[in-house]
Amino acid sequence: MTVTDGIKRRDFLKVLGVTGAGATMTGCGTGEVEKLLPYVVAPEEITPGVATWYATTCGGCSAGCGMWVRTREGRAVKVEGNPNHPISKGGLCARGHATLQHLYNPDRFAGPMIREGDRFRQGTWDEAERLLAARIQGARTAGQQVMFVGGHTGPTMSRLVDAFLSAVGSGTRVEYDAVSDAPLREATRLAYGVDQLPTYDIAAAHLLLSFGNDFIEDGSSPVAHNKGLAQMSSVDAAGHEKGTFVYLGPRLSTTGLNADEWLPIRPGSEATVALGMASYLAGADAPPAYANLLQGYDLARAAAASGIGEDTLRELAERFRDAGPSLAMGPGAGAHHRNATAANLAVLILNEVAGNVGRTVMVGDGQNAASSPFSSMADAIAMMAGGGVGVALVHGTNPAYSLPVGSGFAAAFDQVPFKVSFASAMDETAAMADLIMPDRHFLEAWGDAHPRRGVHSVQQPVMQAVPHFDSKQSGDALIAVARHLGTDMGAATFYEYFRAPHQAMHADDPAAFERMWHEHLRTGMFGMGGMAMGGMGMGMAAGAGMGPAGDAVQLRAPDVALTFDVPAFDGSGDLTLIVHPSPRFGGGEFSNSPWMQELPDPVSKITWHSWLEMNPATAEARGIREGDIVTVTSPHGSVEVPVWIYPGIREDAVALAMGGGHTEMGRWATGSGVNAMQLLPAAAEQPSGAFVTLATTVSVAPTGQRRRIATIEGSNQQYDRPIAPAVALAALGHAGEEHEEGAHHEPLQELQGYGGVQPVPAEEGAPTAYPLAGADHGLYADAHEKPRWGMAIDLDKCTGCSACVTACHAENNVPWVGEQQVVMGRDMSWVRIERYYEHIDATHASHLDVRFLPMICQHCGNAPCEPVCPVYATYHTPEGVNAQVYNRCVGTRYCANNCPYKVRVYNWYRYADENVPEPMTWQWNPDVTVRTNGIMEKCSFCMQRIRDAENRAALEEGREVRDGEIVPACQQSCPAEAIVFGNLRDPESRVSQVVANERTYRVLDELINTQPAVNYLKKVTFHEVSGGH
Amino acid sequence: MKKNWLIGGLAGVFALAGLAFVQGGGAEGEAAVAATIQPIAFPHNQHAGSEPGQNRMDCQFCHFSAERSVDAGIPAVSSCWGCHQVVQGTTPQQQAEIAKIRGYVESGEPIPWVRIHKISDHAHFPHMRHVNAGLQCQQCHGEVQTMGTFEAPDPVWGGSNMGWCIECHRNPPEGLQKADGTPIEEASIDCAVCHY
Repeated sequence: MTVTDGIKRRDFLKVLGVTGAGATMTGCGTGEVEKLLPYVVAPEEITPGVATWYATTCGGCSAGCGMWVRTREGRAVKVEGNPNHPISKGGLCARGHATLQHLYNPDRFAGPMIREGDRFRQGTWDEAERLLAARIQGARTAGQQVMFVGGHTGPTMSRLVDAFLSAVGSGTRVEYDAVSDAPLREATRLAYGVDQLPTYDIAAAHLLLSFGNDFIEDGSSPVAHNKGLAQMSSVDAAGHEKGTFVYLGPRLSTTGLNADEWLPIRPGSEATVALGMASYLAGADAPPAYANLLQGYDLARAAAASGIGEDTLRELAERFRDAGPSLAMGPGAGAHHRNATAANLAVLILNEVAGNVGRTVMVGDGQNAASSPFSSMADAIAMMAGGGVGVALVHGTNPAYSLPVGSGFAAAFDQVPFKVSFASAMDETAAMADLIMPDRHFLEAWGDAHPRRGVHSVQQPVMQAVPHFDSKQSGDALIAVARHLGTDMGAATFYEYFRAPHQAMHADDPAAFERMWHEHLRTGMFGMGGMAMGGMGMGMAAGAGMGPAGDAVQLRAPDVALTFDVPAFDGSGDLTLIVHPSPRFGGGEFSNSPWMQELPDPVSKITWHSWLEMNPATAEARGIREGDIVTVTSPHGSVEVPVWIYPGIREDAVALAMGGGHTEMGRWATGSGVNAMQLLPAAAEQPSGAFVTLATTVSVAPTGQRRRIATIEGSNQQYDRPIAPAVALAALGHAGEEHEEGAHHEPLQELQGYGGVQPVPAEEGAPTAYPLAGADHGLYADAHEKPRWGMAIDLDKCTGCSACVTACHAENNVPWVGEQQVVMGRDMSWVRIERYYEHIDATHASHLDVRFLPMICQHCGNAPCEPVCPVYATYHTPEGVNAQVYNRCVGTRYCANNCPYKVRVYNWYRYADENVPEPMTWQWNPDVTVRTNGIMEKCSFCMQRIRDAENRAALEEGREVRDGEIVPACQQSCPAEAIVFGNLRDPESRVSQVVANERTYRVLDELINTQPAVNYLKKVTFHEVSGGH
Repeated sequence: MKKNWLIGGLAGVFALAGLAFVQGGGAEGEAAVAATIQPIAFPHNQHAGSEPGQNRMDCQFCHFSAERSVDAGIPAVSSCWGCHQVVQGTTPQQQAEIAKIRGYVESGEPIPWVRIHKISDHAHFPHMRHVNAGLQCQQCHGEVQTMGTFEAPDPVWGGSNMGWCIECHRNPPEGLQKADGTPIEEASIDCAVCHY
């Protein structure tokens, strides 16, 4: 086609060019009018643009981990572990991070809600408080009780509730924890007369046995236990002896996947195995109180009950005795069968026989985590059903969801004339209430936690209450209600009530008290001084097993009859159902957090929806494929759920996680997944009264329907590529002797032009060799004198817990995409925890080898993504960071296509703009660009933190950044302390010291010469590893 | 021939549309910065100017966090009022504008200033690094102390003109120095220094 006369093609383009320019100018000149709103009165502690930090205590569960909260311009934007806290020591789990989404949850109540027929009307606080006071008055007149059903609250709130109930006359306080350690607490009471949970010193153990205890996910202190496990089971530069972790149970949880050996014992056989081992070890020296009991057990019986060979058990028992301090942990919340107390007692006996009590098992340490029994709730239900309760107050717990229909809770609760919920957002229990008095989030409220003797932790408001929601701290509401009833609680506000006892201790010197109080708030702890002297913490000194009075605890005979045998399971199905707390949702209280919904489950890598875990052999025998939707039927209910094939579960069991299938819990939880509790009987284990989770058999029938699983997993196999190689313990120290797989002795090769594959000179392959030879000009002329930022990730420590994933979401404004988009492979997480099976056998006792590998942008020195970008949006900084310039990116996605690590994620649909409603946008980190659609993004090594540290260093004295000043969000959060960031070029930096290890390797480096800045340290196994993987 | 008409017509339509945009944009752009749209006709020259009768205030008296934060800061209403409850103005116009401050103080509302200077969301500008290196505010923001109410976007920096930044990072003005006193000869032109 030619243009002959008139307007020439060139002229046409010129005209277009001019109009184009006009349009461009227009683009710059218009836009919304933006307002700058100053403070009316500037708060002293806030400098705009500078973060203010507050110390507080995480209220996500009862573990009481210390938290530092980063606020900007008065808004909490990030929570982190408090490094000085004796329990969590700087770690924070994924759920801890997600508490921030509860704060800004758009589904929180706008104010007090008063029922009018089928719906709620928003009222004022005064109205709500007067209404409640009047109803309590009415109940008193009618001779009915006021009942307070509470989840785990701090000591001050518990004290206030008790005082309130006694002030209003006849009141009952019922503690109810959906996920509870009641059997362990009862077993400890039976064995030692101490009605408390024991504490464990996992790090000190040389051999750790978990009898179905998923201690890094649930239980009394997941973060501390995670830290302990990482320390105990890893080798480190200091020559720490590597301890062995053996998991005994029908299903491998995240905790179980970290084990060195797996004994897939029959569900419910823990007690028989523990007693058989104890009997074998004790011989004639059995503890007198249990000599008769142990006589009835031996290894043969244990072998018969568990399905594990007698020789294996004998050998394990001997190792348990000889290991030095060893440690065994009894069944946790995912394995509470009808004899769970007996099983926990049996494990305590095993510890006693092996001499662990007082060394790794500390009894009488005041461990105060969630351990209330279900039986008291059952009594409460009976009382409600009997009409004895006039007013029921529910605080911090959601029994209408977490108890099966058969428990009768919903029916009984419905009969109570006046029901009050303190939930801050709608849940299944609040939906039934007559009055909702929305509580503050713990980041807006005062409180305290007393997780263990000597650890008294402060909870303080880190910001003004989110103004969208007219909430009130429940303590304040109760004080106001009491006032309407003519009772003075002794304080005008909860804050005063909270301070009063501390103030009373220093009544003689108010100034000193104020100074001390300020110090408490600054550290987040009461009495740090005393604690330092007492040496509290997980790494406790010997002799810490003393009881509260300092006496050594004595094993004694139980005062109730116990059955140690394998319990009966309900129904006649051929598969035993395991219902376990979810690592993401806990018992379901975290289900309305989109971070938790989108976080891949550490075991299955599935996001959002529920799944049924089934052994491959079981599935094959029934013709079931992954993704088939099946009907799971127990005698108590049935659910429809897709199957996920998992080699880490016994052939005669299936598993479902808690937390799905909410019916009334906000936009993200409602309708996502199924509620596993509906398959369970409403039964209490005896004698602890714990709610049973491992109690029924089920039958599984395909529905004929299928769905695509919303998983982020590419493959669970490495296919002989050294992505996550390992090294045998025996081969350590013998580098180059061919024991080691994927070792660094292979020369790097590079495909160069027409020359074919060329070896790369040895000095070029080193992590410090940056920039590449021949590239040191222009921007990179003096790059040799600058730091090369790099990272070391110790796979021997990493437990796959996924705290780093959520920490990264929070720090870097990474949006969630939703279930359908995950199915389409569009998840946007910058950190992906790969999980590879190397050896996993659910039929025999054998070694277990599952590898976790946190995959982030490798910040390659020779990055394949860079040369394919047509617009120079991805390039290398002189400091060795592979940067992504969002404003240059035009979204060709060539870089992602060329990335061998699949770490680049693409924003397809304005996820950040459209998925994040007010006020969740308040959580956005103002130091990081919020990306829109059409932009590629990936790990930036937390560039904003690098810049922040540089700015502070330059401002202080014009110095360089010191080692350890830059801590990326993933490293900060990691409970296992597996991640170290720093300057690879500085031989003194911690990262360089960690990298200088024979276990160090870089993923796929030898194959493709990418020269990453991320260095991994191989996992160490006890068994020999064969070449390639 | 027909084809040429079509091309010409198309180009004309584009051009007209473009002009309309330019005009619209211009009008709107002016409106966005005209003094009248600020809630208070705030004269920078009266405060920071050094002419007789002007007050020679340091920029950082009001923009208080410029030397220690990424944000320069805008003064709290109470800061304005700190002086203006005494300084009531000499002309009726001044008195009328100052009276508005009292209104905001009494109602407890912030003054809804219309933002003039804004760096793009995808760029990060740490004020404190620049102020501490010895740069004068005027080098980017212009001679603000001579201006009355802002009438146009800053002629010096322009808001989204990266070339302006780069020029200075390549060839900084003389006299800039680091905290330890060494002169600054150049600043980084690495993208990720500002874009992350």
